[in-house]
Amino acid sequence: MASSDVVQYRSPARRVLEVLTVLFLAVYLIWTMLPIFVMFVSSFKDLLEAFKLPRVGDWSGIGVFFDFNPTFQHYIDLFDDNNFSTYLMNSIIASLGSALISVVFGSMAAYSLSRIEFRGKKDLFFWIISTRMAPVVAVMVPLYAIFRGAGLVGTLPGLILAYTTFNLPFAIWILKGFFDNVPYAIEEAAMCDGCNRFQAFQSILPLVAPGIGAFLVLCVLFAWNDFLFASIIGSGGAKTLPVATKELVQPQNIQWGKIMAAGVVTTLPMMFLGLLIRRYLVTGLTMGAVRE
Amino acid sequence: MASTTADDAGSGRLAGATVTMRSGAKNIAYQPATLNPTPSKRYYLYLMLPAIIILAAISIYPFLWLIYMSLHKVDIGGAGDVWNNFKNWSRLARDSKFQDGWWLLIKYSAMCMLLEVGLGVLLAVILNNSRFEKMLVTIFLMPMMMAPVIAGLVWYYLYNGTFGWYHWLLQSAGILGETSILGDTSTAMIGIVIVDVWQWTPLIILIVLAGLKRVPRDQLEANMVDGAGPFRNFLQISLPNLYPFLLIAILLRFMDNFRFIDAVLVLTGGGPANSTKILPTYLFDVSFQFFKLGRGAAIALTLLVVTIILGLILVRLFDSPAGKAGQTSAEN
Amino acid sequence: MASVSIKNVWKLYGKTEAVRDLNLECRDGEFLCVLGPSGCGKSSTLRMLAGLEHISAGDIHFGDVRVNDLPPKDRDIAMVFENYALYPHKSVYDNIANSLRLRGMDKAAIDQKVKKAAGMLEIEALMDRRPGELSGGQKQRTAIGRAIVREPALFLFDEPIAHLDAKLRAHMRGELKLMQRELGTTMIYVTHDQLEALSMADRIAVMHEGVLQQFGTPDEIYRHPVNEWVGGFIGEPPMNFLDCELAEENGRMLLRHPNFTGELTTGQAALIKDKAQNGAVRLGVRPDEISIKAASVDGAAKGRVLVTEPLGGDMLVDVTLGDTKILVKTKPDYKADMGDDCYLTFDTERWHVFAGDTGLAYF
Repeated sequence: MASSDVVQYRSPARRVLEVLTVLFLAVYLIWTMLPIFVMFVSSFKDLLEAFKLPRVGDWSGIGVFFDFNPTFQHYIDLFDDNNFSTYLMNSIIASLGSALISVVFGSMAAYSLSRIEFRGKKDLFFWIISTRMAPVVAVMVPLYAIFRGAGLVGTLPGLILAYTTFNLPFAIWILKGFFDNVPYAIEEAAMCDGCNRFQAFQSILPLVAPGIGAFLVLCVLFAWNDFLFASIIGSGGAKTLPVATKELVQPQNIQWGKIMAAGVVTTLPMMFLGLLIRRYLVTGLTMGAVRE
Repeated sequence: MASTTADDAGSGRLAGATVTMRSGAKNIAYQPATLNPTPSKRYYLYLMLPAIIILAAISIYPFLWLIYMSLHKVDIGGAGDVWNNFKNWSRLARDSKFQDGWWLLIKYSAMCMLLEVGLGVLLAVILNNSRFEKMLVTIFLMPMMMAPVIAGLVWYYLYNGTFGWYHWLLQSAGILGETSILGDTSTAMIGIVIVDVWQWTPLIILIVLAGLKRVPRDQLEANMVDGAGPFRNFLQISLPNLYPFLLIAILLRFMDNFRFIDAVLVLTGGGPANSTKILPTYLFDVSFQFFKLGRGAAIALTLLVVTIILGLILVRLFDSPAGKAGQTSAEN
Repeated sequence: MASVSIKNVWKLYGKTEAVRDLNLECRDGEFLCVLGPSGCGKSSTLRMLAGLEHISAGDIHFGDVRVNDLPPKDRDIAMVFENYALYPHKSVYDNIANSLRLRGMDKAAIDQKVKKAAGMLEIEALMDRRPGELSGGQKQRTAIGRAIVREPALFLFDEPIAHLDAKLRAHMRGELKLMQRELGTTMIYVTHDQLEALSMADRIAVMHEGVLQQFGTPDEIYRHPVNEWVGGFIGEPPMNFLDCELAEENGRMLLRHPNFTGELTTGQAALIKDKAQNGAVRLGVRPDEISIKAASVDGAAKGRVLVTEPLGGDMLVDVTLGDTKILVKTKPDYKADMGDDCYLTFDTERWHVFAGDTGLAYF
């Protein structure tokens, strides 16, 4: 039932509106893509060329943006000189690790919460999601103190655990909804056929698998893009791509081309992932409040 | 009066246990616990345990720590924490940066939210009627996939007074002078708002689009037959149906603005002259620049309380029509 | 008040042809029913009349005015939707008053008209309620109230009583017919229920797969279906069909069937003689046009009883005639058991013969 299906009648007023609409869309499209586009193009610009600008007011000079010798050097340097291969690995391990832990334990908890009923369940549930809502900065203060004491600062396991703070409640919250949609009758049928409880659970896994897969990816997305946790708790031994990219910004002699290249390396994988789970984005980003 | 088997059969009792269906049970998965009185609860409880334990460790323990720290002068050097006699808290009342931090935070969130919702609704309506909807939405999604810190860096590059293209554009159009937008206390806030709007308007578009698609078509058509033109139709039928979605969008963005300061840190760090020192940024400074963890904990607690309240409201909305058709969560 | 003229109208959804070359005329004040199964194009036709769909080809006129490019609000129509389409946040009063308010009528006039419409439909007591608090029948009457309050030139009703229970439906059939007579407004009514069409309409347009099959009065449609499909669609219980061979013998036209031989009347023979080749045809007989007897009758077809279905005032008997199963409607005093022999006589004045290949009726 899309409101776009409702019939529309052409009129002179409508035609004007249509032209304005196209213009507006075009402007927004350019405005949206500009930073991403600049990031990509600048990553191929050598140091000085990244600073080239036409004179103020010289609109025809916009071509200057494209006037450069493309170079892959920044990308090479990132991995050779700046240890980006390590940081890339760190990012992957930290995001994937926390995503896996969150989804494994989260789906178990989500399944239980879906099937069980007890007093205070609603409160428990709210407590679970409230941990997800806490401001990162606020959570960081005690976490830092605790992790420091436990010697987890600057370690990948520490970072993984820190990411689990927001990925685990998120997983439980969203996955419960998926399990809610699978009728218990299916498991009962499986148990009638002779399965034990756990095998029955396994029998419904294929039904929720796509959802679980999508939210695994979402967990990776959130963890990968995080900066605060990584910079405070991961600092030192567990530096991730976002942190490393920021650190490229030195007070002197800023290599903008290199920074943009680092930005590309950090962002590109996430763009692909985003396309992959396009269907689940709204549900994931609104924490299940809106169902696509 | 002795009950006979005939009695039992007549009253519908099942092997001694009365079967009752919960009226209004919305969770179709719920039914087992009463119909199958086999040992079940314990199994589920065990299954939940690992996650609950981890969560408790990560949330309750730090929360208690937070309270503890807020009451002490915390010394991370290991020399021991000193009981502070609520000094951390009383200081807050006199701390102008704390109060400014809240005011700036509200201002920041409100500006972001207004622009995002305004743009978002407009774009969603346009896209909904467009042939290229799917393709355009996919392109528009891209800013959301970027790490906020990276977005901040790219915009920092664009905003720069010397070599920033964005600055050049605005300067050539006569809107800006020589000072970069982030360097001027009167425009810095707008600068960071624009970055947030750039990155998160697509989310609003997605949410409103989902809502527009749920507007019942025959109500729109009935209104057309009654005499409404397309604009009137949108106002009278579509918009009321969109309210739950808009509310969710607004609350979500508010909460996220409280939570994420990645971009702000990179763009202005709270400056110039504290004009963009929104509360979470101030908190960051206090805790991780000055390492006054005790004070930081007190500030953190205030932020936490407000965010939780917002969260409570948001959760209420999960029961709204926005999440229907296979409702995901809070239908307990 | 308006007459409606539909000329060579087509509706395409992409490549799918929902309505093909439709030609229909509706007289001023007439109750016209568009009847057909789902997917036959009737709803598309109605929506094109309303202006809720664009017309792919052809013209529609209301009176002298060509309405193809007019939006619904300029067509002076009122519509009742299948699912009522009431505004959930408005009271019954506001739902009905909506169209009048949109047209800028003053409060007093609106009030008077709304009360009048509510009175006609006996929903005055519900004025302050919201649609969510109404029963199906009440919702439907509110929807009708919304339509009649405007006193338009044309009513368009899209299966309005489809979702009511059987009893209410039966009641509403009479009410709607009466209402239309009283108001005198032209009505185009879409339904898949042939009982509704037969009982209410002045004329019926039967559609199938986008094509108009037949257009005529209920009596014409029932008694003289123009093809096999219409014959089988109209009438409850449906018409029986038997494959027969048409043969000429000694100047008589005969229908040969493994279980019997029937003879056409002279009038029928004359109709069929030049048009048909001797060959395969389909014989159509309605269940109430067959008489069934336990004892053998001259010229009767011999069949075997499968089941009897007593319906109170009538009795339905399933009979196998060779390898065809046919339904006979008779009175409950016919007694038979499963497997009994029975003898069927067809009402030769009333039966129909359809061409074997095209399904068109000879008579």
